[in-house]
Amino acid sequence: MAYGDLERAVLDVLWEADPESWLTVREVHAALTPARDVAYTTVMTVMERLARKQHIVQRKDGRAYLYRPRASRSEMVAELLNDTLDDFSTHDRQSALVAFVEDASPDDVAALRAALARLEGA
Amino acid sequence: MQSTPWVLALLGVVLAGPVPAVLARAGWLRRTPLSTMLLWQGVALAAVLSALGAGLSLATTHGWSTPSALALVVTAVVAVRLAIAGHRVGTSLRSLRRHHREQLDLVTRRRGRLAVLETEQPLAYCVPSLRTSRVVVSQGALDRLAPDELDAVLAHERAHLRARHDLVLEAFSVLHRAFPRWVSSASALREVRMLVEVLADRVAARDAGAQPLARALVGLAGAPSPSAGLAATGSASELADRIDLLGASPRPVQAVLVSLVAVGLVVLPTAFVVAPWLAGLT
Repeated sequence: MAYGDLERAVLDVLWEADPESWLTVREVHAALTPARDVAYTTVMTVMERLARKQHIVQRKDGRAYLYRPRASRSEMVAELLNDTLDDFSTHDRQSALVAFVEDASPDDVAALRAALARLEGA
Repeated sequence: MQSTPWVLALLGVVLAGPVPAVLARAGWLRRTPLSTMLLWQGVALAAVLSALGAGLSLATTHGWSTPSALALVVTAVVAVRLAIAGHRVGTSLRSLRRHHREQLDLVTRRRGRLAVLETEQPLAYCVPSLRTSRVVVSQGALDRLAPDELDAVLAHERAHLRARHDLVLEAFSVLHRAFPRWVSSASALREVRMLVEVLADRVAARDAGAQPLARALVGLAGAPSPSAGLAATGSASELADRIDLLGASPRPVQAVLVSLVAVGLVVLPTAFVVAPWLAGLT
C-alpha cells in the first residue's frame, strides 16, 4: 500500500484509541494487520517519520517507544483551515483558488438570490 | 532610431498604469473571459518588454552618457525585481502547497477522487500539484449541495486544475510582488483572479449545467460560515456577476477583436519600434 495511505491508517488507529492512552508500535501494528499485510518494521518507520514531522508525539518508556496523536482529527482539521488557508489567502492570495467561501451579508445573499432568479427565469 | 527609447518608455508607462486600471473597470470584458485573459497577458508582457527595451535602446542609441546610464539602471532594476519576485513567489507557493498537501493527506477522508474535510464550514477548493492535484470539499459543503450541484462544483475545480489557472495567477502575483506600487498590478491580479473563476464556471456550466452551478454558488455563499477570514474568490458582487455571466450569450466578435488587440500589443511595438532599432544597430 502507498506510504501516504499507511501514514493515514496509523493516525486513524491512534485517533480511534483513547485520547489519553499511549500506544506501542506493536499495538498499532496489531490493529492494522487484520485489514492489511504490512510488516512491523514498516509501521515502525512510518511512526518514527510521523513523530519527526510532529504529527504524533513520541515518548520513551523503558526500552519501548510510546506514541499518541498530537491533536485530535478535528483539531488538526481546524489547524489546517486556520493556518494554511490563512497563509494561502493573505500571504499568497493568488494560489488559493478557493471557491465559494464567502462571508456574505444578508444584502449580499439577497443580491445573489436575485441573480439566481434572473438566470432561472432566462 | 532616436525615438525608440521614448516610444517604448511611454508605452511601458501607459501599459503599466492607466491601461490596467481602465481594463479592470470594463465589466463587459468578462463576457469574453478567454480573450480577455489573453489581453491581460498581452498588456503585462508588452509593459515589461517595453520597460526593458526602453533602457536598452536608450543606451545603444545615445552611447555612454548620463541618461543612458540612468536608463540602464531602470532596466536592470525592473529585471532584477522580476527575477527576485519570481523566485520568492515560486518557492513560497510550492512549499506552502507541499505542506498543505501533507496535512490534507493525513486528515481528509477519501471519497472517490475527492478529499473530504470534516468541517461544517462549506468549502470547495483545489490544490494544484505536478503529480497529484487535490480537489477538497468539506463535509459542510457535501451536506448542503444536491448531487447535481456537487457535480458542478467539482467540474469547476477540475477546470482550474486542467487549465493550470494557478500558473496564470502565479505570473500575475509575481508582477504584483515585483511592482506593488506605481503600477496597476493589484487591479490586474484581482481581475485575472475573477477571469479564471469565470472560465472555470463556463466549463462547469457546460459539463454540469449553469443552473446547478449557480444554485451551488448561492447556496454555499449564503451558508453561515463559523470562522471569518478564509480566502474568498471575491466580493458578493463579483459572485453575483459570475451568476449573471452564466446566463449571458456568447460574443464571438468581441472575443476575436479582444484577442487581436492582445496579440497586437505584443507584436506591433516589436515590429514598428524595436525591429527598426535593431536593424539600425547592425
